[in-house]
Amino acid sequence: MEKVKIKINNSTLDVPAGLTVYQAASNAGIYIPVMCENEDVDHFASCMVCLVKDAANGKLFPSCSTHVYEGMELITADEEVLEARKISLELLLSEHVGDCEAPCVTSCPAHMDIPLMNRLLANGQTAEALEVVKNDIALPAVLGRICPAPCESACRRKGIDGAVSICLLKRNSADEDLKQDEPYMPAIQKDTGKSIAIIGAGPAGLAAAYYLRIRGHKVTIYEKESRAGGDLRVPELKDKLPEEVLNQEIDRIINTGVNCKCGVSVDKKLFDALMEESDAVVLAIGAGTEHIDWGVKRVFKGFEVSKRGYQSSNPKVFAVGSAIRASKLAVRAVGQGKEVAFSVDQFLAGEKVIGEPKVFNSRFGKLSEREHIEFLKEATADLRVEPAEGLGAGLSSDEVKQEAARCMHCDCRKKDSCTLRDLSDDYEADQRSFSADSRVETEKHIQHEAIIYEPAKCIKCGICVRLTRKHKEEFGLTFIGRGFDVRIGVPFNESLSKGLTKTALLVAEACPTGALSKK
Amino acid sequence: MSTDFKEDIKNILAQTGNSKSDVIPILQAIQNRYNFLPEEALREVCSATEITPENITGVASFYSQFRMQPAGEHIIKVCVGTACHVKGSGLVHDAFRRELDLNDGEDTDKDRKYTIEKVACLGCCTLAPVVQVDNVTYGHVSTDQTAGIIKDFEKHRLSKKKKLFRTGSGKEIEGEIRIGLGSCCVASGSDEIRQVVEEVVSKNDLQVKLKHVGCVGMCHQVPLVEIVQTNQESILYAKVIPDDVRSIVERHFQPKGLLPRLARRVTKIAENILDDRNWEGIEKYSLDVREKPVSSFLGRQVPIATEHRGGINPLDIEEYIDKGGFLALKRVLKEMNPQEVIDLVKDSGMRGRGGAGFPTGLKWEMVANQTGSPKYLICNGDEGDPGAFMDRMILESYPYRVIEGILIAAYAIGADIGYFYMRAEYPLAVSRISQALEVCREKGYIGNNILGSSFSIDLRMYQGAGAFVCGEETALIASIEGNRGFPRLRPPFPAEKGLWGAPTLVNNTETFSQIPFILRNGADRFNAIGTETSRGTKVFALAGKVARGGLIEVPMGITIREIVEEIGGGVAEGHTFKAVQIGGPSGGCIPASLADTPVDFESLGEVGAMMGSGGLVVLDERDCMVDIARYFLSFTQNESCGKCTFCRVGTKRMLDILDRLCEGKGKKGDLEELEKLSSWVKKGSLCGLGQTAPNPVQTTMRYFREEYEAHLNGVCPTGRCSALIKYSVDDRCIGCTLCAQKCPVDAIPFTPHEQHVINTDICIKCDSCRQVCPVDSIRVG
Ligand SMILES: Cc1cc2nc3c(=O)[nH]c(=O)nc-3n(C[C@H](O)[C@H](O)[C@H](O)COP(=O)(O)O)c2cc1C
Ligand code: SF4
Ligand code: SF4
Ligand code: SF4
Ligand code: SF4
Ligand code: SF4
Ligand code: FES
Ligand code: FES
Ligand code: FES
Repeated sequence: MEKVKIKINNSTLDVPAGLTVYQAASNAGIYIPVMCENEDVDHFASCMVCLVKDAANGKLFPSCSTHVYEGMELITADEEVLEARKISLELLLSEHVGDCEAPCVTSCPAHMDIPLMNRLLANGQTAEALEVVKNDIALPAVLGRICPAPCESACRRKGIDGAVSICLLKRNSADEDLKQDEPYMPAIQKDTGKSIAIIGAGPAGLAAAYYLRIRGHKVTIYEKESRAGGDLRVPELKDKLPEEVLNQEIDRIINTGVNCKCGVSVDKKLFDALMEESDAVVLAIGAGTEHIDWGVKRVFKGFEVSKRGYQSSNPKVFAVGSAIRASKLAVRAVGQGKEVAFSVDQFLAGEKVIGEPKVFNSRFGKLSEREHIEFLKEATADLRVEPAEGLGAGLSSDEVKQEAARCMHCDCRKKDSCTLRDLSDDYEADQRSFSADSRVETEKHIQHEAIIYEPAKCIKCGICVRLTRKHKEEFGLTFIGRGFDVRIGVPFNESLSKGLTKTALLVAEACPTGALSKK
Repeated sequence: MSTDFKEDIKNILAQTGNSKSDVIPILQAIQNRYNFLPEEALREVCSATEITPENITGVASFYSQFRMQPAGEHIIKVCVGTACHVKGSGLVHDAFRRELDLNDGEDTDKDRKYTIEKVACLGCCTLAPVVQVDNVTYGHVSTDQTAGIIKDFEKHRLSKKKKLFRTGSGKEIEGEIRIGLGSCCVASGSDEIRQVVEEVVSKNDLQVKLKHVGCVGMCHQVPLVEIVQTNQESILYAKVIPDDVRSIVERHFQPKGLLPRLARRVTKIAENILDDRNWEGIEKYSLDVREKPVSSFLGRQVPIATEHRGGINPLDIEEYIDKGGFLALKRVLKEMNPQEVIDLVKDSGMRGRGGAGFPTGLKWEMVANQTGSPKYLICNGDEGDPGAFMDRMILESYPYRVIEGILIAAYAIGADIGYFYMRAEYPLAVSRISQALEVCREKGYIGNNILGSSFSIDLRMYQGAGAFVCGEETALIASIEGNRGFPRLRPPFPAEKGLWGAPTLVNNTETFSQIPFILRNGADRFNAIGTETSRGTKVFALAGKVARGGLIEVPMGITIREIVEEIGGGVAEGHTFKAVQIGGPSGGCIPASLADTPVDFESLGEVGAMMGSGGLVVLDERDCMVDIARYFLSFTQNESCGKCTFCRVGTKRMLDILDRLCEGKGKKGDLEELEKLSSWVKKGSLCGLGQTAPNPVQTTMRYFREEYEAHLNGVCPTGRCSALIKYSVDDRCIGCTLCAQKCPVDAIPFTPHEQHVINTDICIKCDSCRQVCPVDSIRVG
């Protein structure tokens, strides 16, 4: 095969003639991002995230659609190239109307995957739902009784006919588990040989213990009271939160193999000893840190910690919960307990401490009236279920199914596999970089049995059009209109089912965004 | 009724062919038949041919010519070309929408009688603002004339005799007589001439506008009378004496009351007016162009593409041949081999007139060197710049010259088939070229063994369907192939992989029209004209706020000032010259302070503009530069094909900001965001449309930044941006109530004999009151 010599970032390569720059670079292990490129169809050059630079004249060009030639010299990642990609993403995002995560999730301090829990509950999969809950919330039965539910305030259905009863749903999944003889036990990773000391067994300390333990560390909690629970045992909560529930749920955490030393008051001496014998220390001692002088820097609210990383002035010491800032919101403390586990792990691995990795999240504002109708397509029309047996009893299992089915699936089906999201994350794109004066309304086309089409998430890359053409669909998909207003649709307003008779899954898979996704 | 469609489509396909590349002609034929594209008809096409639903839907929805909904019985086209825009066509468009009572998103009235459309440049910019109802053109239209125009149209619609050019008040427009009233002219007796002209005009009841122009700089030829017949080129008479006036005027304008037969004869004579041999009466007074410099309007011009302008009957091939036509072709076929032709064109320094200025000889050589066969040639006549119509004029007036240029090129590169790609809105050009092709075929200039040589080529006509981007060569090719007009990345250039993957030469119409001159007169004659890097001449459509607009052909290197002041006669009506917008939507605004910039490819690029297609719009102090930038950007944004992110989304975001500024809703940081977007849209766009779209914005920001800042603070210094101005009545008001009667929204209470007051909450800023006020008491600001 004929070869040509090209230079990428100053290293010379012999590559087969006829390849595109993107292909040649990929073969050589040089990364170039792509979105509108798909190996099964011809290139199209639409998204422009694959821009690279011609070293000869400084011009940018899309690498997916340019063929290599002898003597070509290019630069794939200088500052300008990286910025160009970021700008192309930001332009796409400026017209992108979609939420990666549902608004309930982004407003939950613990970022619990609420819609997924709801879908499992609606489907009667209570145990699976609990697993989802416990991925982010260590004390769901507790929170299910006392959380003021910021998630419900943000619930998209709130503006229609009342928020989904998220908090009670979560509680139900946890309560069901508490009833089991063989309750849910998370998989514990292999022993790491590291030991972590946690001071304080309130909601933050307990959560930290749970998630650190799951990661295979040896975890010891030091609690000055005789029992774990901290602020969760204040008298004001007694009515709402039966002691039995609290005890049971704390046991679930301890049972993962956490060593809880109650009645031990940590003073400077013990602290120094803990610092000596542990690989990291987490301060979860609640509010009232004024008199503590352990060599950890304080500001007036509490211990000073890095944002998102919860690392204190002493790199080995982390602080969470009311110890950094007094709060009545137990869910915030629980969330931080989960996040600090990421930080401690990063610290132990010698990595930069950034806490739970923050992923890019596309968001759009309020739903319009017409969008209510679109969103309701994915939910039942019933009103919010109030527990027949009263709040204390919670929802019955029938009520759970009925209520969970009200959830409208506001999260994106491609949130874990969306190229637009991944790249926006990689390139730190800011959705608000370019302000749009108006946005299109979202639509959800759900008639097709296997896939869903949400045009407002489409980046007009044309992969679906080229695929349906290649596979000779009778109708297929086509571009309709031109310019900014171009849309993807089925010719002659035929239904999606007619358009996609054999390629539905193929296009849903190939679509780089959540515009086309599997049901 | 599906059987109907079956039959119709069968007939249509028999005419157009039924392959994929026929999809646009098929759609055009369907639209001709039904006045829109009925879905059943399209489905029928799909079942009768290989054309897929995906393809036909994609194509039909790409081109703006096609309508998916039935249109009204009559189409009202409001010109929003550059010249009309600067003269207020936006307000006229709004006024028509009100007249037809259209809601947002509608374009056809309730009775389905009228459909309103915006069009870019109807090619009679001197009459701006222009409105066309079917085939009747109304010029100088003002916002309060909409009802009158519709009434006038209704009245004349049924009458057989159609007067095709009328003013908004229904009077016919036949043209304009311009009389030089500069000091030399007056001294030479032009005022006397003016009186006689006025007399003749009124006696004959002619509908012509008398216009007095300033010194045109040819003082040794005074007095001057210039006749501009609507839709035709202007003719200048020098050293006119009062006794000549009557015959000059009558020869151009048809006096009322003459018998039709006689009238036709008069018109016929008028058509030949510059043909010295045919008509003797006035010859000694018509300007002799060879005697240079005779006039600034003509004398500064160098006709190559427009050689024999005004003096040649477009379709008379004998006349063309008489004047040296096809001489170059004969010589080429007899005496030169293809490489010699290419070398000569290279030596001439000719660069493409389609915008980018690519060396023509080099391009020919690239195609000639390709071994593939067949080879194609395309004459790009898509001309989409909303303020230019040079190519149209060349195609309409000099069809044989373009054909000759094409044949020479075809010989040089070894083309087998050539295409004329013509803009949809140019029906006259299409029919002229079709007829000319027919004649050439009969005479053996096209076909096999041309002029007895071994060289053969077939030339075909292809009509575009309304997409500016299809002027871009790769999009143009996609469109001939029957696809959406998406440009594609170059390389490969069309010279290597063009139409159907074969080597293809794409040149602009004007480029071809200069070729015969070069071959006939030699490279030296041509490259003696112009500058070091830009040889020869360029045709411009000079319009806007100049005393004398029109089509001009000037040597490269002439300065902007020379064009505006000497050729254009300066800024009209005593206003001050502010800037020129050159190069249309890809070009830029050059301020008066840089008026000494020479017009050549490099110099224009240096100041941020571009030769572009050749639109040249003069702006005066009343023009708002932010509005101009928005005007051009909204054009390109609307014409973006939507393929690549930077252009599709970037131009939209830019327009969002400009809209905000013009509405007084600018935000802090908007100007910086606009600058950032401009530079990235240029850098990141796939084709020339996006790569040049920011030019009007960037140049106005560069030279008139203070106007942007004023808009950011909610002030439009020129009072053009309607959201930023208020209408009021000052104390000159005599209480005549005319404004109150005219106001379409009753914003002015009816208070006879008292000073009127405008309720600014209701006022929609339609400008009707100002236009009708007899004492100029409506204030805007
Ligand atoms: C958006 C866009 C529009 C264009 N429109 C035209 C046009 O109307 N006529 C034209 O001749 N060239 C047009 N061009 C330039 C053509 O792509 C091509 O360069 C030209 O026809 C080559 O002819 P030339 O070498 O004779 O200049 C356009 C280019 C772009 C990017
Ligand atoms: S399509 Fe991608 S970026 Fe858009 S909402 Fe879905 S996951 Fe987020
Ligand atoms: S409807 Fe469901 S996914 Fe949407 S915000 Fe409410 S709980 Fe979350
Ligand atoms: S729907 Fe089609 S065009 Fe839109 S993003 Fe998905 S694959 Fe691309
Ligand atoms: S620059 Fe504009 S017109 Fe050109 S390909 Fe991109 S979107 Fe289309
Ligand atoms: S007052 Fe306003 S709306 Fe009325 S005629 Fe004058 S400009 Fe138009
Ligand atoms: S333009 Fe190259 S991947 Fe989209
Ligand atoms: S806020 Fe997320 S569970 Fe309550
Ligand atoms: S006729 Fe309106 S701009 Fe030319």
